[in-house]
Formats: sequence, structure tokens, C-alpha cells
Amino acid sequence: MEGAMHADLGDGACAVATHGLTKRYGDATALADVALRVPTGAVYLLVGANGAGKSTAFRALLNLERPDAGRAEVLGLDVSARGPEARAQVGYVPDRHDAGPRALTCGELLRYAAAYRPTWDAAYADRLARALALDPAKRVGALSKGNARRLQLLLALAHRPPVLLLDEPTDGLDPLVRRAVLALLAEHLADGPTTVLIATHHVAEVESLADHVGVLRGGRLVAQLDRDALHRTVRRYRVRLADGREAQRTMRGEARDVAAVLAAEGAEVREAAPLRLEDGALALLQEEVPA
Amino acid sequence: MLRAQLRVVLLALRWPAAAAAGLLAVTTVMVVAEWARGRGGIDFNPELSIIPGVVGLLLPIGVWRGEDRFGDGLLWTLPVDRRAHALARVAAGWAWLLLALAVFQAWLLALVLLTGGNVLGDQVVQVLASGTTLAPMGAVEPSQLRTVRLPAEPALWLVPFTAATGAYAIGSAYALGVRHPVRWLVGPLLALLLVSAVGAAAGSRALALAPSGVLETLMYGTYGFDTLLTARSESLHTVARLPSGAVAPVWLALPDLGHWVAATLLWTGGGLAALWLAASRHGERRRA
Repeated sequence: MEGAMHADLGDGACAVATHGLTKRYGDATALADVALRVPTGAVYLLVGANGAGKSTAFRALLNLERPDAGRAEVLGLDVSARGPEARAQVGYVPDRHDAGPRALTCGELLRYAAAYRPTWDAAYADRLARALALDPAKRVGALSKGNARRLQLLLALAHRPPVLLLDEPTDGLDPLVRRAVLALLAEHLADGPTTVLIATHHVAEVESLADHVGVLRGGRLVAQLDRDALHRTVRRYRVRLADGREAQRTMRGEARDVAAVLAAEGAEVREAAPLRLEDGALALLQEEVPA
Repeated sequence: MLRAQLRVVLLALRWPAAAAAGLLAVTTVMVVAEWARGRGGIDFNPELSIIPGVVGLLLPIGVWRGEDRFGDGLLWTLPVDRRAHALARVAAGWAWLLLALAVFQAWLLALVLLTGGNVLGDQVVQVLASGTTLAPMGAVEPSQLRTVRLPAEPALWLVPFTAATGAYAIGSAYALGVRHPVRWLVGPLLALLLVSAVGAAAGSRALALAPSGVLETLMYGTYGFDTLLTARSESLHTVARLPSGAVAPVWLALPDLGHWVAATLLWTGGGLAALWLAASRHGERRRA
């Protein structure tokens, strides 16, 4: 994978992993040889432009899509062979806002979902419903986009799954509720060991939670590294060019390697600063980081 | 899984069920009022099984309403085998359908008994003599009719149940297996219209009439959909105008229970096979 940037996250302690995952729709390639490695207990941020393949990857992890090649694993379970068992370990928020049968009330839908989840924590579900200001008597079909998203979050969290797959979890929420959701998520993570794979365009919101990042571009996983590696290897450099002017460049690589590259161009590093997770991820996403 | 589906389908259908109950109540009042005015009792009539049949055909709309049938909605992300889950939803709808039908038949029986109607007793009917057809406007000569005694046929009480079951299997297969239901409904009809129009333009009477012939056979043929729904009591039973001007109920031919059994097996078997294929579209994605 030319130009790809992958820290060695290993295979051993991965809660979620894909191996050469490839999915095509006709001529379009949604996923190309994707090898996700989400360590157990990590909060892994998957970023990518619209259509980069994030939602397809999530669906493959739930065995909702049959890959053209490769395989997906959740907690070591091959999802194509043991789909129901794998889904039992996952709380999922899809990118769409259909929460469930529209004729049911929220309370009825929660009881319906609870019937399938032996680990459903009714007290926790009540607490989440109060925190998210969800009216149990409201009909699912009458929910706004934001309320439907709250209900989906509740459905994903209330059975305390070891793995959370959150596809744009704050989409449709107003800023106050977004903050409440992120606080709930942080509390959830503090309560017990949970691995989170989260896809969002609002990277800044989850910056404080995420400790790993993966970048999907055109169906390819072009970067995958932990937060420390990102801070260490993707930096903004203030350089003095050969003609004496100063410029800023975002570059990836170990500091001394980058300095050597710049020196070969006749430039001198004046200052190097790590990027915030959002800026680093966006830089990788925009292909603006020469090695 | 089945219990959860029984519950969720019941919840999803409660308002249509309440509306149907209201309709039955209004109908009861109207029938009893008519009977009280001396209009005579109502008889059990197999033609009425067209109602359960149509309900069975349309019920899957209610059973699947609001579900993200081809997406990643809640139904498909629950930790159970997806094909079995889809079939459990269909089975739950069928169970409620049969229960509702039992209530409907009991209601009908009560009305027939209350109004002193005929509960499948022998009937004396007029049948068009073989080899003759009804003239335009339904005019018929008395000599073309023969009077026969139609023996009681308790099996006809089963027709609503089999009609509803067969139609429900077909409707469920359609709801579960077709991503774009309107396209798949309108498309074939437009194709038949096109064939007919091309036939007419080309001066080919056979081609122009072929689509209507196909539809006629499918709906009213010996083993057509009408045989499933009403044991042909709908298509064979009509009214004729006698020379005196009187209008009389007439059978074009007597229904044949053997045809009903064969049509029921044919349509229900086809529906169940289609249902299996449709549910398999949602099955676990196993690697080849």
C-alpha cells in the first residue's frame, strides 16, 4: 500500500480486526484490502470522506455485507461463520436514523430489544433514557432525527456490550445533547472495559476519547496508528527555505528523518509542533503529508 | 425469538386491528338492523373468503411497515440468525392472521345463526346448462338453466383460512424479497400493456389479447388465484336476467373441491417457496 502509514498494532489483543477486507459494488470499490486492527479497550476513530467505506466496514463487521474477499472478526469471532454470536457482543449505531418499527413507542421498542439481549441492564437503560430525555411513550415513527439517534444510542449502550460500533453517533443531535452524549459515552467507558470503533466527521468532539485513528480514503486504509504515534510522526514544521523565506509544512515521519528530507531540499527546521488529533487525521485524509 | 416477534407484530398491528374491530361492530349493527326490518337472514357464503384472502395479501405491509428491510436496521442487527428471524416475523404475522380470522369466522357464524341464515346446509341452485354461455347483459332462457341440489360442504369453512394463508405467504415473499415493491408491481403490468399495444399496432389479435389472457388465466383459471381465494365461488357465481325481467343468481358451473385443493397447494406451495428465497436474501453472509 504505497504511502500508507501503519503502526504495528499487532493481531494479538485486537477486539476488532479485518483481514484483506474487500467489497465492490459493480465497478465501485467500497473497501480494498482493509486490515483494521482495533486493540481491546481502544477508542478507535475511523475517519474518511463521504463514501470512503466507513459504513461498509461497519456493516461487514456485523455480517450485514458479504465481502468479496477477506474476513472480519469481532472478539476473535469470524463474523461470516458466527454472525449472531458476534452481534451479541456489539452495540451498533447505524448511519441511518431508522430506530425500529414505527408503530411502537420508545418504551415498547426497548422492551423488544431487551428480549434479545441477556445482558440488558434495565436500570442503566432507564438512566440513559432520563439522561437523553427520551419519552418512553413517544411513538418511534414520530421521533425527530435527533431523538431517533438518542434512541439508537440507548439501544447500543444498554446491554453493555464489550464492543461499540458507532457510525456518526452525534449526527442530528443539537450541541447540548452532543455534549451529553459524549459525557455518557465517557462514563460508559469508565464503567467497564469497552472497545469503541467510531466513525465521525466531527473529529474534534471525540478527540478527548480517541486513542487510535484510522484513515480510509477511497476504500483503502491509508493510515492506522495510535495517538502517540500520530503526535510523534505527523507534525507541523516551521522551516526556513533555501531562499531565506519561512514556510509551514505538515509532514509525517520521525523528526530526524523529516529533518534529513528537508535538509536535502535546503530547508532547515526551525520548529516542530505535534498536531491535534483532528488536524492530524485531516492532514492524513487530505494527502497533504509527504513522508 | 418467536415470542418477541409475536409481541412486536401485535403492537405494530394494534391500530389496524382496532379499526377492523370497529368496522365489524358497525357491520353487525347494520346487519342486525336489516334483519330486524324483516330483510331475511344472511347465509354463509364462500365468496366472503375473498375478504380474508385480500387481508392476508395486504397484511405483510403492516407486519413489515417501518422496518429497514434491506438496510442495517435493528431487526437485522440483533444476535439471532437472520433468515430464521425474518421467518419468525412472518410466522408471527400468520399466527395473528389466523387468530383474527377465527374471530371473523366466529362473528360470521354468530350472525348467520342469529339471523336464521343457512350455515352450509343443502342449497338448491340454478346452474347454466353445459355447452351454453350467458348472452350479453346476462340474459338467459329458462331452458338453459337446470336446477340442482348443492350438498352441504363443510370443507368450505376452511377456504378463508387456506385463502388467507396462501395469500399471506405470497404477500410476505413479496414484502421481504423485493427491494422496490412499486417497481415490481407496475413494471410487469406496463410490460403486459406494452405487449398488448404492440400487438394491436402490428395487427396481431393473438398478441394483443395475450396479456389479458395471461391475467385471466392467472386470476380466474381453473387453478387461478380466485380458486385459492374463494374456491371459484366468486368467478362462477353470477346473476342472470330472465325473459320476465327478473334477475336470478346463477352458477356458470359448480365449484369443484378438487380444483380448490389443487389450487391451494399450488399457490401456497409457490408462496412458501418464494418466501424461503426471499428470507434467504436476508440470511447470514457466509463466505463462499
